[in-house]
Amino acid sequence: MHHLTKITAYILIIFVAISINFALPRMMPGDPITSLTDDPTTGMPVIMDEDIKEEIRSYYGLDKPISEQYTGYLRDILKCDLGWSIYYNAPVAEVIFERLKWTLLLVGTSTLIYMILGIFLGAVSAWKRGERGDLGLLVSVLSIGSFPSFFLAMLFIILFGVKLDIFPIFGATTPFMEYSSTFDAFKDVLYHLILPASTLVLTSIDGPYLLMRNSMLGVLGEDYIVTARAKGLTEWAILKDHAIKNALLPITTVIAIRMGFMISGAIFVETVFAYPGIGKLLYDAVSFFDYPLLQGAFLIITLIIIAANFIADMTYLYLDPRVKHG
Amino acid sequence: MRKLLVFLMLAALLASGFAGMPAAAEDKKVLKIEGGDYGYPSPFTFYSRGPGYIRMSLIFDTLTWKDDEEIIPWLAKSWKSENGGTKWTLYLEDDVRWHDGEPLTADDVKFTYEYIKDHSGTPLFKWFSVLNYMDHVEAPNDRTVVVTLTDPLPSFLTDFAGCIPIIPEHIWKDVSDPTRFTDPEAVIGSGPFKLAEYNKAEGYYLYEANEDYFKGVPLVDELILLEVGDPALALSAGEIDEASFWGSEIDAVETFEADPNFEVISGPSFWVLKTIFNCEKYPTNIPDFRRAIAYGIDRGEIIDQVVHGGAIVANTGILHPDSSWYMPGLPDYAKNDAVANQLLDDLGFIDTDGDGIREYPSGEDLEFELLTGDRFAREAELIQEQLEAIGIKTTVKAMSTKTLDAILKEGNFYIAVSGHGGVANPNLLETPNWPGDTYHNDSYDSIFLEQETEMNHAKRKDLVNQLQETIANDLPVYTLYHPLMWSVYNPDKLDRWFYTLDGVATGIPIEMNKLIFFARFGDANEDGDIDMRDVTKIARMICWLDPETDAADANRDDKLNVLDIIYTELIILGRV
Repeated sequence: MHHLTKITAYILIIFVAISINFALPRMMPGDPITSLTDDPTTGMPVIMDEDIKEEIRSYYGLDKPISEQYTGYLRDILKCDLGWSIYYNAPVAEVIFERLKWTLLLVGTSTLIYMILGIFLGAVSAWKRGERGDLGLLVSVLSIGSFPSFFLAMLFIILFGVKLDIFPIFGATTPFMEYSSTFDAFKDVLYHLILPASTLVLTSIDGPYLLMRNSMLGVLGEDYIVTARAKGLTEWAILKDHAIKNALLPITTVIAIRMGFMISGAIFVETVFAYPGIGKLLYDAVSFFDYPLLQGAFLIITLIIIAANFIADMTYLYLDPRVKHG
Repeated sequence: MRKLLVFLMLAALLASGFAGMPAAAEDKKVLKIEGGDYGYPSPFTFYSRGPGYIRMSLIFDTLTWKDDEEIIPWLAKSWKSENGGTKWTLYLEDDVRWHDGEPLTADDVKFTYEYIKDHSGTPLFKWFSVLNYMDHVEAPNDRTVVVTLTDPLPSFLTDFAGCIPIIPEHIWKDVSDPTRFTDPEAVIGSGPFKLAEYNKAEGYYLYEANEDYFKGVPLVDELILLEVGDPALALSAGEIDEASFWGSEIDAVETFEADPNFEVISGPSFWVLKTIFNCEKYPTNIPDFRRAIAYGIDRGEIIDQVVHGGAIVANTGILHPDSSWYMPGLPDYAKNDAVANQLLDDLGFIDTDGDGIREYPSGEDLEFELLTGDRFAREAELIQEQLEAIGIKTTVKAMSTKTLDAILKEGNFYIAVSGHGGVANPNLLETPNWPGDTYHNDSYDSIFLEQETEMNHAKRKDLVNQLQETIANDLPVYTLYHPLMWSVYNPDKLDRWFYTLDGVATGIPIEMNKLIFFARFGDANEDGDIDMRDVTKIARMICWLDPETDAADANRDDKLNVLDIIYTELIILGRV
């Protein structure tokens, strides 16, 4: 019973999200045709005849009444057809997924690393609270984490890319590379991934680190820790079986929320490293008023966030036996 | 003189002994430049911005083209116009082939113009809307095309023949939706490069040279376009061989100027930033009010502070000083607060309550919103300060360019700061305060229509001058600056970069003109460098030992003789 209402709630959320997705881009003044007609940087403003603009509008179905566009949009979603991107001149699904996979790789790897590292360092810090190790970690993690991501990114590029020439400074793969084996392909992607991923890790690690540290400190003050010590358990056993597990609970929520934002959160890093991710795609889609692309991209992101929240819900239930159903 | 001639000839012949084997480059010559995804380079699928057209132009050719000085023959080797400029006959080059080996004929040209015109509902039609001038086109034989227009079109050679790419009839005749046609056949053209690979997500293009190109073999075997995060860093790291910079990026350019490994050239951006006035609403509809604001604005200060010197003061008549239509000597409204104050006082906007802000005759403060795109917020803020000094209060409101354009088109503004490109083409002056459309002047409009169809160049120039004068006097817009543009390149890879007269095709300000891939005059052996080996080569050509090449005619006098040897040696010595 409880599960049913939960699922219904999620479906309702998805439906509202889809509708807002449709309405929002259209509330911006201007339309996709204006973005096709001129280019503010190098281009000539083309004074286009109204009838030509009308022809183009009807080519993309933009001249139909809003209600018809809306129902068409809903129908297409049910058919899993995200439409045709006006600017990129390709199916929206294709455009999005080509870029989404790189963002997922970059942000997925970074999130995994900084979460694990952050949690571990946070736990160590809390355990050694007040000592030199704790203070040292606190200062370094916080100061590096306060650098803006693009600044750190450029620093890395100059240091490792230009001066030391160890890592490539842009792209996800070496252009036009033909790989003699999957291992080589893997190596190439890895090489290109290291700098952007490191940037993301360093700038995001302060969140989970601090959270874990605080959570741990709270847990370490609890009675059951005193009991465990009294029972004679080793420090390591206490840490592993009692402290960390309990300290992790609030972090799960954070991880879930972070997962949703991670898709668009890497935009600075993606831009500086020219990493072909979805962040830059979104920004361009908004600049170009590309309705189908905007709708499709926001929809995918919304679905991912909702899924992440759902997983967090379920994980929390699993991790914390104190929370009962219903 | 004779002794010098003899000496030079002997030197040339001696050099032939030392020249040894001609430099046959064993490695592939590869050029890497900034890329980024601008769409699949067929004439119907590139993204509608300037660089998209350029990428397509490497694969497809037009009938005419331009170099740094003039319009030059390309697919058409000669042409004539009759009937007051409404009938154009163009004669095509012989033996031009498509990448798939089929010959290019006048039927392809006729087909192209008709096909594109029939598909005017496609978004890219904006590049080819000049076809609306075409009444019909005929191909009386394989090598001749006759285009008949509805009205005389003085810019026919650049905007029509020099812009529309020719597509192969045998491929496109079965394509009904060109915007969705992305098969490999869509990029079969006649141009100097073929598309080998295109990666949309990562913004890579790989072009391979067309060895059978009718103008000769391109100087590079492969052209790679890559998406780079920061062009300056990528250039320093050698990841790309050339990058272009603009306006306030002058700081990056100055670092490269000091670096002996790179060369820098600068060219006109044909772009202008303007203050746009609403000529329908009070009080900006009063010409003297606009003039007062112009006198209050200090353009030099804007250029120094915001663009760090990376721009030039704009022509108040809008057209760029480096374009062939520029009219010098127009009033520039150099900052003069005294004159501004006087004009405003005379109009009745006096500061009656001593708060530093003038009032309308009805008593309210003289206050407006100053609209601008995000990119120009700093310029707007500086203008706000400058206008405060003459008693006009403004609030800067920055927004996305698209939103701004929409608001301007609706006429919901008083003053806005916005810019655009294309200011080498007089046809741009149709609505001087574009994207607004609030300036209504019948005599201006009729002069504009006249120059659109005036075939006599001198008369047309005179009419365009009149338009510029009217703009500078009436001030529907007050132009601010033209950004400068630079190309920084590694001369060891390619040093042919130049800026095309009035921009490539219809006026794209870019140094990537496909001519850079072909030998300069004087480079007789067409290897990309001018050195003693070319002198030897010319000598051998004169003695009929080697076939002649066009590039051997160093002094461009259409004859191949000792004078070309001397001219080449002068080039090597740096004397010309």
